[in-house]
Amino acid sequence: MDHRSAPWNAVRVAWRITKLNFRAQLEYRAEFLLMIAIGAIWQVSVIVFATVLLTRFSGMGGWDSADVLLIAAMRMMAHGLFVLFLGRMHALAYRVQEGVIDAFLLRPMPVHRQVQLSFFPTNAIGDLTVAVALFIGALVRSSQEWTAGRIAFLIAGVLGGMLVEAALFTAMGSASLRYPAAQYWSRWLEELLGTFGSYPLNVLPKALSWLLTFGLPLAFVAYFPAGVLTGHGSALGVPMWLAAASPLIGLGLYLLSRLLWSWSLKHYTGVNG
Amino acid sequence: MTAVPGVWRTARITPLGELLTPPRMTGVAVQLVIQTVLVVALWRGLYADTGPTTAGLSREQAVTYAVLAVLATRLRELDRYAGRDTVMQHMHFGTIVYWFLRPVSPRRYYALRALGDQLYGLAWAAAGYAVCLAVGVVQPPHSAGAAGAFALSLLLGQWVLYYIMLLIDQLCFWTLRNSAAMLILIFAQNLLSGVYAPLWYFPDWFVTLSAFLPFQATLNVPLSVYVGRIPLADAGPQLALQAGWVVLLAVVTRLVWHRAALRVVSQGG
Repeated sequence: MDHRSAPWNAVRVAWRITKLNFRAQLEYRAEFLLMIAIGAIWQVSVIVFATVLLTRFSGMGGWDSADVLLIAAMRMMAHGLFVLFLGRMHALAYRVQEGVIDAFLLRPMPVHRQVQLSFFPTNAIGDLTVAVALFIGALVRSSQEWTAGRIAFLIAGVLGGMLVEAALFTAMGSASLRYPAAQYWSRWLEELLGTFGSYPLNVLPKALSWLLTFGLPLAFVAYFPAGVLTGHGSALGVPMWLAAASPLIGLGLYLLSRLLWSWSLKHYTGVNG
Repeated sequence: MTAVPGVWRTARITPLGELLTPPRMTGVAVQLVIQTVLVVALWRGLYADTGPTTAGLSREQAVTYAVLAVLATRLRELDRYAGRDTVMQHMHFGTIVYWFLRPVSPRRYYALRALGDQLYGLAWAAAGYAVCLAVGVVQPPHSAGAAGAFALSLLLGQWVLYYIMLLIDQLCFWTLRNSAAMLILIFAQNLLSGVYAPLWYFPDWFVTLSAFLPFQATLNVPLSVYVGRIPLADAGPQLALQAGWVVLLAVVTRLVWHRAALRVVSQGG
């Protein structure tokens, strides 16, 4: 095979598998439609919760509603993109239990890519539909001046958020290769990201917001990038440069998680020993 | 005489699986602690910038409500998927037929499994409650009457939740899969029962809408009775409404079991 065309071939194969996966999802029509609904309902529930908090409580940690909306919108968009492109790590523990990983190891394609191409994430359609709507709403309500530089940082922030989430779940997937109980943590982590990822973390005591920054890097998903964009940089609890480096930190964390994945896969022993 | 050991053996399947997996139990304990600490910090932080009472709930009432809601989710979270004993998996692998061939009816087997799961979850919730009460994170109920009404309301609420979960599982007999419906149910239950935030904070239209759905009967009613947001004198109609949902859902699910049995074929018919 011509080595120059190898990446292009990989994209072509991935695209063909994705098309097949999409058709496979259409096999169960009711499930397909419900899966789209689930993404939408989950995201709408986040919006309702945010609206309730903003209506009942006067500001959250000094952030006005438009700025909080921007955090929620960035988090939701990052999450939707994560689910679409890199989100198949959630159910990995079950794939290990079924022995599917053993089969993946025998095929001429990286195992990580096979996991990502194992099924089409129909719920991402619902996730992204609501996320785009909220994103447009947040940008319209925002009083910021959207210069080219700000827009570039906004895009980088969303992509960085996607990579932080991908890094966390890739680490969980790596753990799933050895410990089936990691599935429990994975489900909880998703809930935690949905609940605390969309609001200003300075509402929490310093120790907890520190924990959600350096223990579990949730703050880098949307809180820090949105803080930089909305001028809350000095009140984020970390140096401005660190908050501004969120997209790069996301990239770094994701690369680290992929190294962890490769290491875990080398030490993987299948259900048959 | 053989009924009791049979009941016990069926009910303990999932709890036994949990007890034999210490990492899962450690995970549950750590997650409960972190989630509780975060929820307490969030609501205290929100009330710090606002008045002492919002939507008829004081800071202490709101924190108690939110913590109890976190603990209550333990009653629902057990994983039967790992043991391949969900209705969806049995439909997928064709093993659902064995549920209908055993001396125990599928309806009874399902109920006993759920009973064991919920009792195990209750042990976690009760332990968490004792710790939270001891450290002063949650307030005790106002009176013995309120405590009694709360216990009864919680029992009815869990009963309603059991039937809702059963109905979603029964969906598999027609749709084969129910993972999306189950996720929708969990989100709807979280949102409409007060797990995310006490229903009292929501707009009037939302509260009115949820009054017509069974979800608020699962958690919002018992927790509101506990914190005193629903006074003891007003608890009667709410308890009656919960009992009404139990009866209605019991009739519907029984009917669906009957219809489901007609759809199951063994060895190709």
